Amino acid sequence: MSSFVDLLIDNAGELGRGLWVTLRLVGASLAIALIVGTLVAALRISSKPWLRRLGGIYVEAFRNVPLLVLLAMSYAGLRRAGVPIDVWTAGIASLGLYTAAYVAEVLRSGVFAVSAGQMQAALSLGFDERSALRQIVLPQAFRTVIAPLGSITIAMIKNSAIVGASIVALNDILKQARIINSETLETDEAFFWAAVGYLLLTVTATIAFRLLERRFAIRR
Amino acid sequence: MQQKRWRWLTALALALGVLALGACGDEDESSSGGDTATTEPAKSFAAGSTMKALQDKGEITIGVKFDAPPFGRKDPQSGDVEGFDIDLAKAIADELGATPKYIEALSDNRIAFLKDGTADLILSTMTINAERDEEIDFSEPYFIAKGRILVKKDDTSINGVKDLAGKKVCTALGSTYEETLKKQAPKAKRTLVDSYSECLELIQNGGVDAVSTDDVILTGMIIQDDTLKLVGEDLTTEPYGVGIKQGDTAFKEFVDGVVAAYKQDGSWATSYQKWVGQYTGEKQDPPTMTLQEAIDLTK
Repeated sequence: MSSFVDLLIDNAGELGRGLWVTLRLVGASLAIALIVGTLVAALRISSKPWLRRLGGIYVEAFRNVPLLVLLAMSYAGLRRAGVPIDVWTAGIASLGLYTAAYVAEVLRSGVFAVSAGQMQAALSLGFDERSALRQIVLPQAFRTVIAPLGSITIAMIKNSAIVGASIVALNDILKQARIINSETLETDEAFFWAAVGYLLLTVTATIAFRLLERRFAIRR
Repeated sequence: MQQKRWRWLTALALALGVLALGACGDEDESSSGGDTATTEPAKSFAAGSTMKALQDKGEITIGVKFDAPPFGRKDPQSGDVEGFDIDLAKAIADELGATPKYIEALSDNRIAFLKDGTADLILSTMTINAERDEEIDFSEPYFIAKGRILVKKDDTSINGVKDLAGKKVCTALGSTYEETLKKQAPKAKRTLVDSYSECLELIQNGGVDAVSTDDVILTGMIIQDDTLKLVGEDLTTEPYGVGIKQGDTAFKEFVDGVVAAYKQDGSWATSYQKWVGQYTGEKQDPPTMTLQEAIDLTK
C-alpha cells in the first residue's frame, strides 16, 4: 500500500499538471458542447423544414464519427490542408462538437417531453410563439434534461482521455500516468492515481448536477 | 430461415479456417528434403550441432522486422522481405546451405521466440544490452545505430540537441528516448505518441519540430519523405546484435564467423550503401565494437 503513497509523493507534480490539463480540456469542451448543442437543438425543433434538416445532419455527422477519427481529422487533416490548428483547439473543438450532438438530442427530447397542450394553452392565452417557448415550454423542458446532461458530462470527462491518447497527444492525466508507468514500471500505482483523478472530476460533476436537479425540482 | 443462414455462415467460416491451417502446415513439410548433401557444396558441421541440424533440415527460421524499413520490411504487394537485416540473414543461411524462412519478430516477442525455438535466430534491429544478455546470447555487434534528431530540411533553427529547448520533439511513449530526451534536452517539449508513424505524420504536418529515435528508423522516414533531414551529434549508441539461444556456444561462434567475414569481404558495405548510405549520404564503416564493450555501455 505504501508504494501507492510513495508514487503519489514522487510524482504529485506530474499528476497534478495532468489533472489540470484534463480539467481545462473538459471545462472548455463542456462550454462548447452546451452552446453548440443548444443551437443545434433549436434547429431541430424549428418550424422550417430545412433548418430541421440542417440540425439533423449535424447530429448524425458528429454522433456517427468515432471521437478518435474526429481528432485525427481535425488535427492532422486540417494541418495538412494548411490550417495551423494547435493541439488545444483541435482537442477542445473535437470533444466539444462531438458532445454537442448528444446535448442537442437530449434537449430536443426534453422539449418534446413537454406536452403540446402547454404550447397551445399559452398561445390561446395571447403569448406569441417565441415567448411561449421561452417562458412556458423551455423552463419545463430544462427540468427534464438536467439528469441526462449530467450523464453526458460524465461520459465526456472519460472521453477526454481519448484526446491525450490520440495524435493530438495532450499531456492529460492519463498520459502523465503512462509516462510515470514507463519510467517506473509501477503500473498498478500509476494507473490507480489516474483513476482517482478522473473520479475527482466525475464525482464533482455528479454532485453539481444533483444540486441543479434539486434546485429546479417541482415541489410535489 | 434466419437460423439456417447462420448455420451456413458458420460452416463456411470453419471451412476457411481449416483450409488456412492446412496451407500453413504444408509449407513447412514440403521443403524438408534431405537433398543438401547432393546439391550444396556446403561445409560439413559436427554431428549434433545446431548448424548440422539446420543444414539437414534445409531451412532456418529467422525472426525479422516487417515494418522497420530499411532494416526489415515486408513488401505489402509482393510479400518479399527485404532490408539490411535480411541481407545478413541471407548470408548466414547461405553459409549453412539452408533456405531462410522469415517470420515477424516484434520487440515484445522476439526473446521469447528464441527461448521456445520458434525462431533459430533473431535479426530485428535488436540493441545489445546487459538486461537482454541475461536471457539470450548475442553475436558480435553487426551495426551501430545512433540516437539522432530528425527535422525538416528547411528548418535552420535546430542543429543539435541543445537547440531542442522550447521545441516540440516527438518520440514513442515507452521508448528509451523518453528518458534520453529528459536527460539531454530537459527543456524540450516532449510529444509522446504510440508509434513512430504518428511522429512522421506530426513532423510532416508541422505539429512537432523534431523527432528523436534510432537513426535507422529516422532514415526510414527520410526514405518516405525527402524533405526531412538528420541533424546534430549522436545522442546515444545502440549496437545491434544477432540474437541466439542462450548457451549455444558453437552456434554463436559460427554466427560470429559469418558476421566477421560479412564485414570484411565488402558485403556489409554494399548492403549499407544500398539500404542506408544512398539516402543519408553518410559514410560508415563496419562496427569494430566488441560484444563486451556493447554490454558494458549499458551497465
